[in-house]
Amino acid sequence: MPSGDLGLVVRGLSVAYAGVPAVRGVDLDVPAGHAIGLIGPNGAGKSSTLLAIMGAIPHQGTVKVNGEDVDGLAPEKVVRRGISLVPEGRHVFAGLSVKDNLRLGGVGRRSQDGSADTLDYVLGLFPILAEFRDRQAGLLSGGQQQQLAIGRALMADPDILMLDEPSLGLSPTAVDTVFDALATIRSAGKAVLVVEQRAEFTVAFCERTYVLHDGTITLTLKPEDATNVDVLTKAYFG
Amino acid sequence: MNQLIQSLVDALSAGATLGLAALAIGLVFGVIRLANFAQGEIITASGYSIIFTWQLGWYVAIPIAILIGVILSLLMELGVFSRMRTATPATLLVASFGLSFLLQRVYELLFSNNVQTAPVAPELAQSVDVGGIRIQLLSVATIVIAGVLLFALIQFLNKSIWGLQLQAAAADFRTARLVGIPASRVIGLSFALSGILAAAVAFVSTVQTGAVGPTFGVPIVILALIGAVIGGIDKIYGALAGGFLVGFATSMLASWLPSDMSNFRDAYVFLLVIIVLIIRPSGLLVSGGTVRT
Ligand SMILES: Nc1ncnc2c1ncn2[C@@H]1O[C@H](COP(=O)(O)OP(=O)(O)OP(=O)(O)O)[C@@H](O)[C@H]1O
Ligand SMILES: [Mg+2]
Repeated sequence: MPSGDLGLVVRGLSVAYAGVPAVRGVDLDVPAGHAIGLIGPNGAGKSSTLLAIMGAIPHQGTVKVNGEDVDGLAPEKVVRRGISLVPEGRHVFAGLSVKDNLRLGGVGRRSQDGSADTLDYVLGLFPILAEFRDRQAGLLSGGQQQQLAIGRALMADPDILMLDEPSLGLSPTAVDTVFDALATIRSAGKAVLVVEQRAEFTVAFCERTYVLHDGTITLTLKPEDATNVDVLTKAYFG
Repeated sequence: MNQLIQSLVDALSAGATLGLAALAIGLVFGVIRLANFAQGEIITASGYSIIFTWQLGWYVAIPIAILIGVILSLLMELGVFSRMRTATPATLLVASFGLSFLLQRVYELLFSNNVQTAPVAPELAQSVDVGGIRIQLLSVATIVIAGVLLFALIQFLNKSIWGLQLQAAAADFRTARLVGIPASRVIGLSFALSGILAAAVAFVSTVQTGAVGPTFGVPIVILALIGAVIGGIDKIYGALAGGFLVGFATSMLASWLPSDMSNFRDAYVFLLVIIVLIIRPSGLLVSGGTVRT
């Protein structure tokens, strides 16, 4: 496989709910070793985009994971092609222990070989999960649950990690923990696609950030745009 | 005192039976939001099989009954419910009613409207003397069977990766699929387990009655469904506890209501159910009115 294919490529992605368009022809490139941002106001279609990429909602357009077409596959199959989503609102399995949540994350692996190594990697990234491994996930704090949700996604050993508003409702220190981990994951050569509300922070963190508005990508920002994100988006949307 | 202990043991056994039946319904409901009324016909099928094969020995009859329960349960999923994945819970319930009546007619055609009889485990259908108190051996056996089955099931659900996948799917189906849990596998698993539970319920019920007719499973599934709803049908252990409660209460009422009122036994149970549902619409054991998204 040519290395240029590694990562996620999305072309012409469209989603409609009961005939009402929510995502209209979105193109995205998320290369290996990069973090790419996706920002936009409430209802812009960010979550719909990520869910469509995973095959969790009906959509049109093409999605390529590491050069392989995953269109028409069910989410449980898409995961096995090497892409994982940390869903909006975390959605840890609240009644199960931290350990069992991580075990379940491993169900989506392409191969069960090396799952012990992945677990070590995840626990190294988020030591709190080792400390609380027997605790019920629902009893963790929001920040800890977010770490668990990311850890669970990483247990599938994805090449591409997508996160939907990982900083939502988290304290500033918890946000730092999460983004420090994302930086580590990126430098390990994985492709990261992160949906966020906090524009300036995201633009600074990511190699490239797409601005989604009303289902369409209207702007692409570079880290150097971070300081005047507000100016740029205002100029664009009025 | 003596009579109290007798009726307590009987009630525990009735509770255990309905607990298992309600658990079977709750396992499937948790995963695909189907309150399977035709669960009764799985119990009936296993019941017939026990009646017809009992003379071959329990070690033949019981495995066959389990096999029949599992196969019929999986056939329902493959033949009917898997084709209705986008249907609402109400539509699914109605479909299961239809399936239930259809199977009752099929049983009628195959085995006639008369009950089929055989003495199933007659050694259990006697009383034993425990310190001057007469206790139905079958009641004790039922409690033991239910206890062992539940222990095994809970171990399976909490320890094995398959059981965890089932729990995850029951808690949050979309997220379960997003982490890679195959939908068809966990759905099949929930139907298979409910088939095993149906066979267990069929066994204790056939020992009790020694007779199986086309509607054998209907009264059981009605009470089990009520129990599941009272306990909170979308929580696996809620359904179990609710089924137990209904079985326990029904049996207690039967032994303690004056005989001229015992005809109204079920009316009291249903009255109780209505009161519970008015006070706690989402079930006794479910905290608050959580809505699934
Ligand atoms: N299940 C659904 N059924 C119908 N409409 C939906 C559904 N999910 C989302 N929508 C609509 O699609 C549009 C895009 O929603 P989406 O959740 O993708 O936006 P978002 O950018 O993630 O918003 P937020 O920042 O609030 O999370 C919105 O108008 C929303 O109301
Ligand atoms: Mg969203």
